Amino acid sequence: MNNILWLIRREFWENRSLWIAPLAIAGVILVLTAFGGVHIGQNETFWFGTGASDLENMSAADREHVKNALSEVSDKGQMIYAFTMAMLTFVQLFALTFVIFFYLLDSLLAERKDRSILFWKSLPVSDAEVVASKLLTAVVAAPIFVLLLSAVVQVLFRLIVWARFGGSIVGDVMPLFDAAVWLQVQVAAWAMTFTTIVWYLPLAGYLMLVSVWARRNAFLWAILPPVALLIIEAMLAQSHKFADFLGRRFGGHLDLMDFARFEGSNDMPGLGELLSHISRVFQSYETWVGVAVAAAFIMVTIRIRRMRDDS
Amino acid sequence: MTAIIEARGLTKRYGSTPVVRGVDLNVEAGRIVGLIGPNGAGKTTVIKSILGLTSFDGELKVLGLDPRTQRDDLMKEVCFIADVAVLPKWLKVSQAVDFVAGVHPRFDRKRAEDFLARTDIKKDSRVRQLSKGMVTQLHLALILAIDAKLLVLDEPTLGLDLLFRRSFYDNLLNDYFNKERTILVTTHQVEEIENILTDVLFIEHGKIVLDSPMESIAERFAQLVPSAGNVDRARALKPFWEREIFGRVAMLFDGHNQDELASLGEVRAPSVADLFVAMMQPVGTASPSKEAA
Repeated sequence: MNNILWLIRREFWENRSLWIAPLAIAGVILVLTAFGGVHIGQNETFWFGTGASDLENMSAADREHVKNALSEVSDKGQMIYAFTMAMLTFVQLFALTFVIFFYLLDSLLAERKDRSILFWKSLPVSDAEVVASKLLTAVVAAPIFVLLLSAVVQVLFRLIVWARFGGSIVGDVMPLFDAAVWLQVQVAAWAMTFTTIVWYLPLAGYLMLVSVWARRNAFLWAILPPVALLIIEAMLAQSHKFADFLGRRFGGHLDLMDFARFEGSNDMPGLGELLSHISRVFQSYETWVGVAVAAAFIMVTIRIRRMRDDS
Repeated sequence: MTAIIEARGLTKRYGSTPVVRGVDLNVEAGRIVGLIGPNGAGKTTVIKSILGLTSFDGELKVLGLDPRTQRDDLMKEVCFIADVAVLPKWLKVSQAVDFVAGVHPRFDRKRAEDFLARTDIKKDSRVRQLSKGMVTQLHLALILAIDAKLLVLDEPTLGLDLLFRRSFYDNLLNDYFNKERTILVTTHQVEEIENILTDVLFIEHGKIVLDSPMESIAERFAQLVPSAGNVDRARALKPFWEREIFGRVAMLFDGHNQDELASLGEVRAPSVADLFVAMMQPVGTASPSKEAA
């Protein structure tokens, strides 16, 4: 365990994009919130420096438009708050998936490219520990960092909006800080994130396998085989079973969660209801087949790192 | 004495090409063994087998463990510098020390830091900012602070200048070596390490061609520079190697009566470097173009 923690720390030393990229995205979100334009009404855009009083001075037609829109949601402040907070987290996690994708592809190739594998292999850390630490960095450590960061960003975001538009009809539509809703958003975000990660584990295992196997161009080796399969199937069989399969592997967990039934509902779903929908993913055999396939990919990856002799 | 490395019929093929052909080894504790051979002789493959970095056939036990199946246990007792400049460029000096201290139970942090304090290496530098010599010093500082039973060095000073090479081996002897420790080293710069070795192993075409403690070398081998009239008589005694330099002939004899040789000229113990060249280029095959050492 001690070794794993040191190895994960090592990953963050080497791959600074794992923490710099989320910080940069958080910074961009907050800067846009503070200085960006907000389009309100039909034709007016307010920039930073716009105060609540300016909002009151907007054209009569627009004021009417905004007031109508707001009156419809005046009793849904909590829901708008929750939705806004969740969107902020989603944006940050979405950006992280790109960082993680390239991190995993490079995770077991970089050490062979710079030959530093000979140094890591001279220390008493096993191949299983090294591979596990890289996987855990991608699917546990980095997501936790982003979830914690986004919880802070949510609070800062709301404070900035309040500073810009507080006291106006626009600024006060949602609460300044609602601890209960904020906490529920965090719980839902953690549950959603790690459930999605479990669903995507085979993809992570596949990327690591490509990384330990490829001598260079891990990106191409990861992308070309599935693309080739798609094309071959389309040409020879005029079917798209593999495309369907890929679509299921990328979006199937959302189908299983079956959020569609919330659509059109005007009430905020309760946390318990949300979690029970999210947990449906674990009731599907598909999820566990995926976990088993991921485990197999990881075992092969460990074996290749152990036996490979190309130093 | 317990055997630190014990090999019987160690064999390695790449495809159908054998690079190591039935090597037998027996290295005991407290020795400094030089594994010496021309490029492509199989040195690095033997070393990689010992370190569990490659597959092989035959029997091999290192500290009583099989490097193929018990590598994780083995690495607690063995450390190595398999090549120069394998420290990753992004690593900071302080991170390197922290990391090794974190994962290695036998690492003495203070020892590494004392060693680094005697160099020009700054703690917050990254490896990419260090000169090649400094990277080697950093690697050495880490390795020497590990209390390992076996240290394996594969060309540890390749590409370094003479000053670094000299201080590298001085540090190795003064700060590291003791009776419980064993060092296995390969290098091209034979003449620089022959004074520190207790044993030499010559390897050629994947076979061990000489396995001898240093003290036996002077007993077994002799270098003779015959006096002017005695060259033909000396040659009649069948030296296994000779060369002519500045008009004087030097010959090497294996297991010959040294008193008899002394009557023909000047006799002394050959250097390991001379012996190496001689054994890799027996009489008749010597040519300046053939690479040796």
